[in-house]
Amino acid sequence: MRRNDDLELNAYVDGELTAEEQAEILTAMQRNPELAKEACELNNLKNQLKLAYENPPGISSSSATPNKTPWYAIAASLVMLAMGLAGGFWMGTPANHSDRFVMLDADGRGQAPSTIDSPETRIVFHLTSDPEDVAAEELLDDIEDMLSSYKKDGNPLRVEIVSHGKGLSFMRERLSHHKARIHELATTYKNLTFVACKNTIDRLQVEQGVEIKIVPEAEVIDSGVSHVVKRQKEGWSYIRV
Amino acid sequence: MQTTKSTLLQKFGHNRKLRAQVCNQRERLYRIAWSWCHDQHLADDLVQETQAKALEKLDSLREESRLAVWLTRIMANIYRDHFRKNREETGLEIDVAIEDETPELSTDRMQLVQRTRDAIASLSDDQRQIISLVDLASFSYADTAKILDIPVGTVMSRLSRARNKLRERLERPIYHTKQKVVPIRKPS
Repeated sequence: MRRNDDLELNAYVDGELTAEEQAEILTAMQRNPELAKEACELNNLKNQLKLAYENPPGISSSSATPNKTPWYAIAASLVMLAMGLAGGFWMGTPANHSDRFVMLDADGRGQAPSTIDSPETRIVFHLTSDPEDVAAEELLDDIEDMLSSYKKDGNPLRVEIVSHGKGLSFMRERLSHHKARIHELATTYKNLTFVACKNTIDRLQVEQGVEIKIVPEAEVIDSGVSHVVKRQKEGWSYIRV
Repeated sequence: MQTTKSTLLQKFGHNRKLRAQVCNQRERLYRIAWSWCHDQHLADDLVQETQAKALEKLDSLREESRLAVWLTRIMANIYRDHFRKNREETGLEIDVAIEDETPELSTDRMQLVQRTRDAIASLSDDQRQIISLVDLASFSYADTAKILDIPVGTVMSRLSRARNKLRERLERPIYHTKQKVVPIRKPS
């Protein structure tokens, strides 16, 4: 590759070219697959570099990667916390991640779960990011354990999983890897509800130009955010995943 | 009089806001600094000096929207004038290598991170700075040129050379120096 071509291709992957120049490169790439491969490799290199410096020594992992803590670990510990409170005992240490989750009382103050005085335990999980498969499975396992344990003991429990933003893919007909599990859980436990945010669906439809289908078990509500706020006001424990 | 007072108060409030913004840039600056020197203490010192200098000459910031470029430029100057001179003799060392035996290393991700960091450490200071400003900090070529006080053309050619060298390094096969060999013995 000529030197100037090389510089231009670098500028292309760095988003430094005008629309016209970009069009030229794209046309050249269609003619020359080698060029397209080269651009792809440069792009991968950029991503690899970002990954390598995402979390350098000296920056605490909590501040460096606020969303990198496995969400199922947080969720699982919170499930344990909720179970412990409802049963009047602690099942374990309520996680060291207490600063990472939000659990508000009915008035939106503090972090004490409002369910403590309620005969029914009510928890809303707010899914805001796309979970990895293993993590999602583990969360579903934890929730199922909880539902089953409450059922066995005859304790009232309601659980809602609200997906919103990137978390919507968990409930998307085409993308979700958990459709069978969602179906199975929703059929077995009537006190478990899956909820999808219509605002996110509408936005994605406009952005991606495709029809977004949601698994039939999920109920579609206007706004995921408003819904979880409403739940908090009603005294539900809120767990952001 | 009233106008002067309110102007003063406005300026005071404005400066406080700017100061807070300078302080909030710590993590971003540290990431860049560490990618330049691969040394935790040096990166810390570099960021501290940068922030101290920035707070000292806050009035010289012309466009607030360009705070990140302004701060990084200050840091690049300090790095060039003080830190780099001292390190030229010793070369770049990675202060925190990921230990062989940590469980994290067993993951592909950590191996990839370590390999990439090693490859970047092998670049020249100039190349490492360019690549971290463009790829890590996502500065435009124009901003990178401004930060390093070099022409945009130099940014482009240095970046291209740096990436080629990096790819060459990363494409080399990995040789495992520590191999666990299980001796085969004849049953006695």
